[in-house]
Amino acid sequence: MPDNIKKMRLKFSKTGNMRFIGHLDVMRYFQKVIRKAEIPIRYSEGFHPHQIMSFASPLGMGLISSGEYVDMDLVCTEEEYSAADIMNRMNKVLSEGISILDAAYLPYKEPNAMASVAAASYIVHYTDKSFDMSFEEICRKKTVFFDEASSINIIKKTKKGERKVDLKPLIYRFDIKPEANGYFFDLMLSSGSQDNIKPELMLDTFHEAMGISTEAYHFFIERTDLYKNVDNTFVPLIG
Amino acid sequence: MDIKNALSDDILLSVEKPARYVGNEVNIIRKDLKDIDIRFAMCFPDVYEIGMSHLGIQILYELFNRRNDTYCERVYSPWPDLHEIMKEKKIPLFTLETQSPVKDFAFLGITLQYEMCYTNVLQVLDLSGMPFLAKDRDETYPIVIGGGPCVYNAEPIADFFDIFYIGEGEVSYNALLDLYLRHKNDPNGYDKKAFLHEAAKIDGIYVPSLFDVTYNPDGTISAITPLYDDIPKKVKRVVLTDMDEDVYPVHPLVPLIKPVQDRVVLEIQRGCIRGCRFCQAGMIYRPNREKSVDKLKEYAKEMLLSSGHEEISLSSLSTSDYSDLRELLDFLITECADKGISVSLPSLRIDAFSLDVMKRLSDVKKSSLTFAPEAGSQRMRNVINKGLTVEDIMGGAAEAFKGGWNKVKLYFMLGLPTETDEDILAIPELGNEMAALYYDTVPKEERHGKCQINMSTSFFVPKPFTPFQWAKMEPPSEYKRKARLLNDAMKEKLNHKSLSYQWHHPEVTILEGVFARGDRRVGKTILYAYLHGCLFDAWTDYFSFERWEEAFTATGVDMDFYTIRERSLDEILPWSHIDVGITEEFFKREWENAMKASVTPNCRDKCSGCGCRSYGGGVCYAG
Repeated sequence: MPDNIKKMRLKFSKTGNMRFIGHLDVMRYFQKVIRKAEIPIRYSEGFHPHQIMSFASPLGMGLISSGEYVDMDLVCTEEEYSAADIMNRMNKVLSEGISILDAAYLPYKEPNAMASVAAASYIVHYTDKSFDMSFEEICRKKTVFFDEASSINIIKKTKKGERKVDLKPLIYRFDIKPEANGYFFDLMLSSGSQDNIKPELMLDTFHEAMGISTEAYHFFIERTDLYKNVDNTFVPLIG
Repeated sequence: MDIKNALSDDILLSVEKPARYVGNEVNIIRKDLKDIDIRFAMCFPDVYEIGMSHLGIQILYELFNRRNDTYCERVYSPWPDLHEIMKEKKIPLFTLETQSPVKDFAFLGITLQYEMCYTNVLQVLDLSGMPFLAKDRDETYPIVIGGGPCVYNAEPIADFFDIFYIGEGEVSYNALLDLYLRHKNDPNGYDKKAFLHEAAKIDGIYVPSLFDVTYNPDGTISAITPLYDDIPKKVKRVVLTDMDEDVYPVHPLVPLIKPVQDRVVLEIQRGCIRGCRFCQAGMIYRPNREKSVDKLKEYAKEMLLSSGHEEISLSSLSTSDYSDLRELLDFLITECADKGISVSLPSLRIDAFSLDVMKRLSDVKKSSLTFAPEAGSQRMRNVINKGLTVEDIMGGAAEAFKGGWNKVKLYFMLGLPTETDEDILAIPELGNEMAALYYDTVPKEERHGKCQINMSTSFFVPKPFTPFQWAKMEPPSEYKRKARLLNDAMKEKLNHKSLSYQWHHPEVTILEGVFARGDRRVGKTILYAYLHGCLFDAWTDYFSFERWEEAFTATGVDMDFYTIRERSLDEILPWSHIDVGITEEFFKREWENAMKASVTPNCRDKCSGCGCRSYGGGVCYAG
């Protein structure tokens, strides 16, 4: 790689009305923001050049996040544009609901964000629920469902058909925490191209095991960060 | 700024593309309602992605919001999935910016870009909780204004509107809003009728309720009479004569979901010098007025930066006629080259210049060329005044084939006045000759596959304020026969393997024909159709001709009266109280020229005295 081609990773949040924008539109939005902010991004060759940019992991419609990542190739030196410059330029033109939280230059050989993702953490609240269960009771049920279980087998529907999956080794953290008027879930789940577990799927399985139907509740889900596996420790993609 | 969405998260997450309803777009204008005297809701009555692609709304959004006392917000048609929910839960239609009910606004402006949006107009009124008929709406409701090309004969929907704005928005809107403020602040209270009466004296403001229409026993119109002596008998279209005074959205709204036109649109000129006799746009936007190329360069730079768009396109009629096109395109191509921005070309006259530009911009092997001869025979092209000879067409095609193109699209119309089977058969013949030209021009070893000539036809709809406004249409059976005739003839051609043909179904054409030249009696049919489930008629999946036929029968309105009836040149047409600046004599002269297949020169070559010189600008005074 020539010296002036640099790899940069950005961490961003997606909140408010931006949660109604799907992944393809987030990509489209970033392409425009990068031009608006006059970021020295690298383009591909050909009649229809595109920006060299890749996102770590699509976020489902309706979810908010404080830990999304995107990688991009820049044509500049770090002296010309510091990571902080890039971040400030983008934040100046971003609409309400998306902010750049962090930016870092990476060694060019660093695997891209998408390939690096191994886990994702989530905070999940109920928006409404039509069943009653105390904090103590749900914690007891969770102990039986998760901590004491040797396996949690589910049938996962994929594009190619159905596949049996054991959730147990893919749930890295399953905590229920009390708060005023109830409790919320604090999760860390396997993520990425290998074994991607969505929080809805995991929590629906838990509620089903408790005999509660999916119609009895709605969730508000926040993805809090994405992690790579470094020597069997999960560390955030910038960090 | 914290604005609560009009729809709950549950509803938003249950409908297709919730981003249609939450606003928050790039370059959205935010104002504090405390400082606002006039709230204007601007509506494009179709789905968000279509409406957001429309340049006119963006111009008006800019124009209104330049006023400190006015806040213009936007509203689009809720898609049928949300329509059901809003009806069921009685959620009032709301604007995107402040998510407020439309009913709270002083004005509801609705742009009327095509006739098939009329049921969507009624949906907007219905969901807003407003009576359909203007006469049933008192001072507590917004004033409903229509604009856009359909207002030149808006009679079929006249009963639903308080005002139609005839002409270009830049000219009279400020006067209208100032007048409204005076009436609103009147110590004796705001009186809608008094406001409308005064408004009717402003240039270009048509108040349909102030004109009485009477009919003859045979159903034709006997008179259109203004109710007051102090308003003009004819409402004259207003035109911006100095294009340097245009209001342009240099910080255009950029939606967060992909609209149909996801690009910077640069309007390079208004009006057209050509005078094709079927073309309403070529008449109602006269005179041709060009914007200065220096100004366009500035706009382009600023809009690309402020939007972040990766594409720019030009907007105008007959773009090839823009005087400084070469300079403008050279500038755009250079400016965009290293920024990953592409320049998309409108359909240009195919010649050495346009082929050269296209080669620089796109992969020849993948792209196709478009010709719009509109008619197959020279006689027919002379009738419609399409100044294009077979030599022009074949010459352009030969150049293109030599340049490496082998895909060509050809657009035609069927059902033009005086059309014979011979004229129709000339269409596949033209396609055949063009294919033969390819095989003659390009040596075997240089061809990549066979050439593809794709012909398509639409059925001609006579439009008001064109020389063909008197023309009669044909019954659907005749349209179908003509399309079949063309198709069968094509299959017989030597090069038929290189030819293909597609045609539009005639049902929509017939309805467009009724609405385009309909009168006020058609309004009840449109209302009936909406109340019986017609909506999104511009969308093939939702359009039901059967439902429309039922509406016409139930309301006792005869479609044939508006479509296939022969009109005499002295009939009082439903739009005869509107003056687009072109004299009736000109239209009659042009109708007669058409019957003689006689060609009228374009405005630059020779003035034909259409009447638009009276506007005092544009091509009429050039050179």
